Amino acid sequence: MEFSTILGAWVAAGLTLFIFSFLYKDNPFFKAAEHLYIGAGLAWHIQLIIYKIIKVKVWEPMKVAWASGNWFTIWMIIIPTILGLSLITQFIPRISWLSRYGFTFMMGYSAGLALPAGLATDFTNQILGTIEPFANIVNLTPGQLINALILLIGSISVLFYFFFSIEHKGAVKKISNFGIYFLMIYFGASFGNTVMARFSLLYGRFDLLVRYSNAQYFYATNWIIVGLVIYFLLEKFVLNKVIAKNS
Amino acid sequence: MKETLNKLLKIDRRWLFLLLTFSILIPIIKPIGISSKSISSGVQDTYNFIEKLPEGSTIILSMDYDPSTAPELHPQSAAILKHAFKKNLKVIIMTFLAGSGGLIDEHIRNIPQQYGKEYGKDYVVLPYMPNVLAALTQMSSDIYAIYDKDKDDKILKNFEMMKKIKNYKDISAVIDITGTALLDSWIVFVGDKYGVPVMGGVTAISQVGYGPYLQKKQLKGLIGGMKGAAEYERLISEPGKGTSGIDALNIAHLLVILFIIFSNIVLLILKLS
Repeated sequence: MEFSTILGAWVAAGLTLFIFSFLYKDNPFFKAAEHLYIGAGLAWHIQLIIYKIIKVKVWEPMKVAWASGNWFTIWMIIIPTILGLSLITQFIPRISWLSRYGFTFMMGYSAGLALPAGLATDFTNQILGTIEPFANIVNLTPGQLINALILLIGSISVLFYFFFSIEHKGAVKKISNFGIYFLMIYFGASFGNTVMARFSLLYGRFDLLVRYSNAQYFYATNWIIVGLVIYFLLEKFVLNKVIAKNS
Repeated sequence: MKETLNKLLKIDRRWLFLLLTFSILIPIIKPIGISSKSISSGVQDTYNFIEKLPEGSTIILSMDYDPSTAPELHPQSAAILKHAFKKNLKVIIMTFLAGSGGLIDEHIRNIPQQYGKEYGKDYVVLPYMPNVLAALTQMSSDIYAIYDKDKDDKILKNFEMMKKIKNYKDISAVIDITGTALLDSWIVFVGDKYGVPVMGGVTAISQVGYGPYLQKKQLKGLIGGMKGAAEYERLISEPGKGTSGIDALNIAHLLVILFIIFSNIVLLILKLS
């Protein structure tokens, strides 16, 4: 196995265990891993912008367009680039007003694109989906009918819960209270799925830790766990006593 | 008795972490093989849709996830890719998340060879694209206007499988595996707008939120979390990381259920006494 792969395994296992060590107590290894994560994350995003956006979308097309003297393409690159760069002027108060041009373009473009399509997908289509089964009520099986009724009652009662233009009392209060049960079922299902998702992620990390505990990775996980245990024992029985004595 | 129960409720939570660690570690080290009998309707629908596609059809597999959600989503995309290759479908792999590069490489290093598939003839990989909306809308008229080259800077049009592809009209289905809200964009800008069948693979957390799209058939199928991956692996008879993870998930869930029941009983006893 290549040296870089083994080194990668040691770094991955080490950083994972350093982060997990916080579950026992705060310690310098956790802090180091935390700071490294922030630094590495920032560096990753900077290189991403330079090599995957500026180089690919601005620098290289500009070189080609300049060499062929294609002024239309040159302007098609320059204008969006200037609009994009104008966003950075926010950090310079004196000329921060320039950023409005970039934001205006972004907002207009995004709203124009997202509003009509989003309205159709999330609004009209969903209303249609709730009513549609009743147009075909004769052909529904009892199960499908119950499902359609639950959906209809659930949608209406939850909408009532979020309708604040009239006071919630009498029949309105009863319907909106009924909507709470539907919301609670939704939150319960979401929470159950969240627990499952977190366990899946934990499984993913543990699976890697077990893989890196093999001989081919020179028992990376095992050695790092031993190191951490020694540190915590030393801290408990030696370091704390020394600190207490000196103070 | 009351004192002991009170002490139990105030137990150092690190003991619970330790128990949870063992509940996940033990099945990894020594798999128990707890079978998962049920198949969710969303997973079954996805499988059926791909199964019914004629040989040679082209599908888009958008792998929009990075290592942070890979344990749940990587087995899903692997299962979809295996199924597509089994069915002799052509696959365009793409991503809108820069962090997925290594994960895509891992798949194309291992999976195509198992089915004797060739790059350019049976599958291509498109480069990372930063602007989702621009790419999704542009691809409706001409894919090559936004993706002129593949991930290795080779001219995309020149690949054998791309010769008959121009826009969404030539795409039989889109499967977006994602830990972000990108699936919404695929539904809005591709599924609903251009009538391309869209299916999804999402994390368990976001699975519930896609119920309305499934009900309205705006989504033709949905794979949710590691459980969904395990179910899909079972359908294609290719056990992978999803299946092996189910053991650990089952034990961990059992432990949490036990904790909840136990602490409620203790609370009830304390209240009654």
